Amino acid sequence: MPLWANPRVGLVVLLVLLVALFSTIRPAFLDTRLTLTPLQSDISVYLVIGLAQMSVLSLGHMNMAVGRMAATSAFAMGLVHHTLGAGLLVSLFTGLVVGAGLGALAGLIISRTGVNSFVVTLAMDFALVGLITILYTGVVDGVAFPTMPAGMEALRFDTFADYCAGEICGPRIPLVAPFALAAALLTGLLFRWSRVGREILMTGSSPRAAELSGIPTRGRVVQAHALSGLLAALAGFLLAANNGAFSAGIGDGFLLPSFLAPVLGGTLLAGGAVSVLGTVLGATLTQVIYKGLNLLQFQLDRLQLYIGLVLLAALSLDRARHVLAGRREAAP
Amino acid sequence: MLVAENLVKTFPGVRALDGATLTLQPGTVHALLGENGAGKSTLVKLLTGVYRPDGGRITLDGGELHLGGPLDAQRAGIGVVHQERNLIPAFSVAENIVLHHLPGRAGWLDRARMRAEARRCLDLLEVDLDPDTPVARLSVAQGQLVEIAKALSLDNKVLLLDEPTASLTGDEADRLYTVVRRLRDSGHAVVLVSHKLEEVFAVADTVTVLRDGRSVAEAEPLAGFTQGQIVDLMVGRAFASIELAERTVGEQAPPALRLDGVSTALGHRDVSLAVRPGEILGLYGLVGAGRSELAKAVLGLERITAGTVEVHGEPARIRNVGEALRRHRIGYVTEDRKDEGLFLEQPVTRNIAVTVWRRLARAGLVPDRRERALAETYVERLGIRVSSPRQLAGQLSGGNQQKVSLAKWLAADCDILIVDEPTVGIDVRTKAAFHELIAGLAAQGLALLLISSDLPEVVVLADRIAVMSDLRVVGELDNDHDYPRMSQQIIRLVHAETHVEGRVSAA
Ligand SMILES: Nc1ncnc2c1ncn2[C@@H]1O[C@H](COP(=O)(O)OP(=O)(O)OP(=O)(O)O)[C@@H](O)[C@H]1O
Ligand SMILES: [Mg+2]
Repeated sequence: MPLWANPRVGLVVLLVLLVALFSTIRPAFLDTRLTLTPLQSDISVYLVIGLAQMSVLSLGHMNMAVGRMAATSAFAMGLVHHTLGAGLLVSLFTGLVVGAGLGALAGLIISRTGVNSFVVTLAMDFALVGLITILYTGVVDGVAFPTMPAGMEALRFDTFADYCAGEICGPRIPLVAPFALAAALLTGLLFRWSRVGREILMTGSSPRAAELSGIPTRGRVVQAHALSGLLAALAGFLLAANNGAFSAGIGDGFLLPSFLAPVLGGTLLAGGAVSVLGTVLGATLTQVIYKGLNLLQFQLDRLQLYIGLVLLAALSLDRARHVLAGRREAAP
Repeated sequence: MLVAENLVKTFPGVRALDGATLTLQPGTVHALLGENGAGKSTLVKLLTGVYRPDGGRITLDGGELHLGGPLDAQRAGIGVVHQERNLIPAFSVAENIVLHHLPGRAGWLDRARMRAEARRCLDLLEVDLDPDTPVARLSVAQGQLVEIAKALSLDNKVLLLDEPTASLTGDEADRLYTVVRRLRDSGHAVVLVSHKLEEVFAVADTVTVLRDGRSVAEAEPLAGFTQGQIVDLMVGRAFASIELAERTVGEQAPPALRLDGVSTALGHRDVSLAVRPGEILGLYGLVGAGRSELAKAVLGLERITAGTVEVHGEPARIRNVGEALRRHRIGYVTEDRKDEGLFLEQPVTRNIAVTVWRRLARAGLVPDRRERALAETYVERLGIRVSSPRQLAGQLSGGNQQKVSLAKWLAADCDILIVDEPTVGIDVRTKAAFHELIAGLAAQGLALLLISSDLPEVVVLADRIAVMSDLRVVGELDNDHDYPRMSQQIIRLVHAETHVEGRVSAA
């Protein structure tokens, strides 16, 4: 395959071009404190939610409830802190368990009933929307928890530059970034080298052949969905850290970007193949576009229109490149 | 007259055709022969507009033919049965058969006419199938019959058949060839791709042999060759037939796999079979006899309603293939490689290693190196033709796909192996090698249940032969490897049963 036919290369090129464009028009785009650090926080959140969607795309499934799984998990984190006074790690852990549990439940329903994942998770999304409202009104009589565990403030405002060993301080990278990076590395490891991850991909490639090769396909479906829920919970946590509160609105804007990042990065909707690196690039690209247009002071509705157009162009380019590559191969 | 001259077709890393020439006269049956991966299917696809040639030209009655797609070929009167199934699973048999010329009235589908047309095509082949059955519910062989009926439904001057009888038994193949002869006598030209040389010699008039994408014999009268000469041409050197390993079956050893009075939800009644270690039990029957379904019931994929399954003398309740593989060391090589045997979008390495990842893994991680080494061992051992072990399974020729589907079960290192039509679509040389391999496995003490519709294969390999008909075992014979006698006995068993039932049932 020629180098230019690799979707990841196209993304990198596009990314470089856009950064050059934005920083020429608005030099402030390269300002670390104003733009780059917040940009990294945003990328972290959308990378993790992209990974959450990617985990089930690997099966050829969808998770339409990523946003609400994130919200429910965030509620759980807020709740254990609010009522039991739990610290940061205990809260995070509880949230991750709740997220994984919700995902596993979706996976269980899908594998037991054979109902399409789109339908199951969409129904789950509806149910959770209602549940979240009830929970927040019941517990805090509002839409957000008033307090956060100690340390969340640091996650929100600090960068590694605030931590120095003698004279040497860290780079201006927000503290949330390593969470996302770790999630990406572990997910990559899972799908690339682990037996379970590969079996999930094989199940996505052909469920029937997977079953006849001795792969416990039902278990793999449940595990992939549990992973999706777990990552959604992590994304919810990171967004809460960025926003400064566990609130009912967490995850409202997750659904579309969750698909964009992996799909731009070359993950197939049909299942059987994923790309973590592509998802990283896809998430970065979407957030760069968002930030850039924002700096150029587009109004929000216009902003969304333009983002839609840019993404459409990016996807068409991708498709065109694919077709061209195919022709080149057919006629050497 | 259809002529293909010096056709060239290249895929990444492979030159599938490299100057192939085919001359097709009306009123003849033309055999197109060659080893697995020689380029036969690629040639068929060029002639039917599936691929476009990179070089050479195709002419029909003197005029050059530019085929932009399959529809162009259809308009030019070229019908085809491809090696791989092309039916739409959700549609009915009738809808599939008349798909390209759906009878309509004022924009509405004329269902009655559609059904009648489908019925007519099925009757040509004497296939007893309800035209309203969804294709998803058909067995592999039934699907193949529908595919052939579909090609017959168009009035074509040229008919290309790419291994049409690969999964059919003798009777069904005979009916197909009756139709083929009738078409030839009315002036049609038929191309027949097949690895079953007996059939080829019985029906074809002329022959083209492909080797490595080139024609090494061009439209020569078949009568001038012996089967041995044709095989030598395909292989490119003198081909010595293989002697099978001598085996002794431990008479007193307890059966490795025993079925006792098994009935299933699908309608199998009171099936009893036993295979001992080191033994090959052949399971022969017509299409629809329920052999594959019986195997699947043993593996827990179909429900067993009565009777017992014993593995090495212990009652076993197997729920899925994973359990069969890991707890009982039973493997099952499926007959349906495209849907059940292979991951077409995945590389050959993963297709072979999938059953043994557990063994290859270190701390849950599978090193690429070990996986690749394993795959390479089997690529070499079975002579699988790949441009690299990373090549996608779906890009291999049909016979090479079959080898991959078998390789993963050889790698799994089982005690009991159920092989379902293991040599479908495999060339003569490799088939002999496969037979040697299977006999070798038995000699090592494996218990083999060989499901096959290939009567010579069953008689060559099996120690005992069980005959199934209509979801029951109708007889079991000790095999003395005397083909004329054994085949007669077996066919008599099959037909005794169907006469009682009143008619040949394909359902
Ligand atoms: N779509 C494809 N992409 C890449 N390689 C291909 C593709 N189709 C066929 N090939 C390669 O071209 C060669 C010829 O394949 P082809 O299917 O024509 O063989 P064949 O003679 O029909 O063999 P068989 O008897 O096994 O069906 C093989 O090496 C195969 O791997
Ligand atoms: Mg072929």
